[in-house]
Amino acid sequence: MSRLKGFISQLFAPASSTEASSDEALLALYREGDGAAFEILYARHRQGLYRFLLGLSGRAELAEEVYQETWLSLIRSGSQPHGRATFRTWLYQIARNRLIDHWRKHGVHQPLHDSYDEQAHALPDDTTDPEQLLSLSRDSQRLEAALQALPADQREVFLLRAYSDLDLPQIATLTETPLETVKSRLRYAQQKLRRLLAEEVLT
Amino acid sequence: MTDAKHTPNRTLEHYREQATGEPPAHLDALILAAARSAVPAPKPGLWQRWLRACQQPRWQVAFASLVGIALMLSLVQRTPEQVPSYDFAPAAPVAKQEAEAAPPALARSLNAPAGALSAPAPAAPMAESAAPAQAESFSADMADEAKASKRAAAPVKSLDEQLREVLRLEKTGHPQAADKLLADLHKRFPNENLSARLKELQKN
Repeated sequence: MSRLKGFISQLFAPASSTEASSDEALLALYREGDGAAFEILYARHRQGLYRFLLGLSGRAELAEEVYQETWLSLIRSGSQPHGRATFRTWLYQIARNRLIDHWRKHGVHQPLHDSYDEQAHALPDDTTDPEQLLSLSRDSQRLEAALQALPADQREVFLLRAYSDLDLPQIATLTETPLETVKSRLRYAQQKLRRLLAEEVLT
Repeated sequence: MTDAKHTPNRTLEHYREQATGEPPAHLDALILAAARSAVPAPKPGLWQRWLRACQQPRWQVAFASLVGIALMLSLVQRTPEQVPSYDFAPAAPVAKQEAEAAPPALARSLNAPAGALSAPAPAAPMAESAAPAQAESFSADMADEAKASKRAAAPVKSLDEQLREVLRLEKTGHPQAADKLLADLHKRFPNENLSARLKELQKN
């Protein structure tokens, strides 16, 4: 019955409704043979995913490699997000796992697996003045340097929040971290970035 | 200490606004091309799947066998019953009684070729004055009963034949046998004027 309803709704739906479909619906359409659905899905997530990988890996070549592997594995797998996971969570989970696999394969130290004392890195935030916040550095190199100065765990949460638009519970699920830890990581990351960028402006 | 939940996410917005990283165009092209080439074929409908199945040899054999069996069954069930030869077909007891009680013209129709489906009635006198249409309708009515009982009936000669047999016996010097046969015929056909019929046959 539900399949019949879906068929009827697809039959009489205007063409523009595909673009308004959810990520999960687009993926399902693609799996059923609709190539245009994938193009819409890709356009939605290409930029966010790439920026997340670039920020997390710190290297454009590695980010591109993992980015490509992520999309190709999604295309070839033929599977769908499991359980309550959204497509967005699923996509970033694949990318994150690929990056960790790459680090493991090349014997690179995995910063995401460090045990990290959140409190030890929390410095008092004295840059809450809105006027000062507005004068954050806009130099892309300084922004990048400040980002790389963050501990990897904090950087990951910050990047996921900034570019994937996932909410905190989703980030907690993706990173398999307690929600409160995710909240504190994001808070510390924002504090440190504000401080670093403001200091750079002042100097 | 500020809570990320309560302070405006100025840093997040700042990074979103200033971010410039874009996936290279060649990567976009490569991924979209891979997606296009890997697009699964649309799932065929029930009718299309059936057509495809018909194109496969093993299903062709299966379907052909099925159709063959269906044809054979329909042919077997539609085969007409063998038309009995009314000259030698047995007479049913019920049909026999009916024929005895029936007028001569109707009884004759049971023996007529027009009623080919019917089994021949027991010997009945020939009558010339019956209407053909009436004879045919009666023949059709009698056909079923005669068919039903034809196997149980024994072959019986017609009245004329038996009367000729009487004449033959008289001519060949067997008057006793002729008388006995005539007496039997009187019993079997009490309503018939056998003497007049016998004379008629003698004239012929």
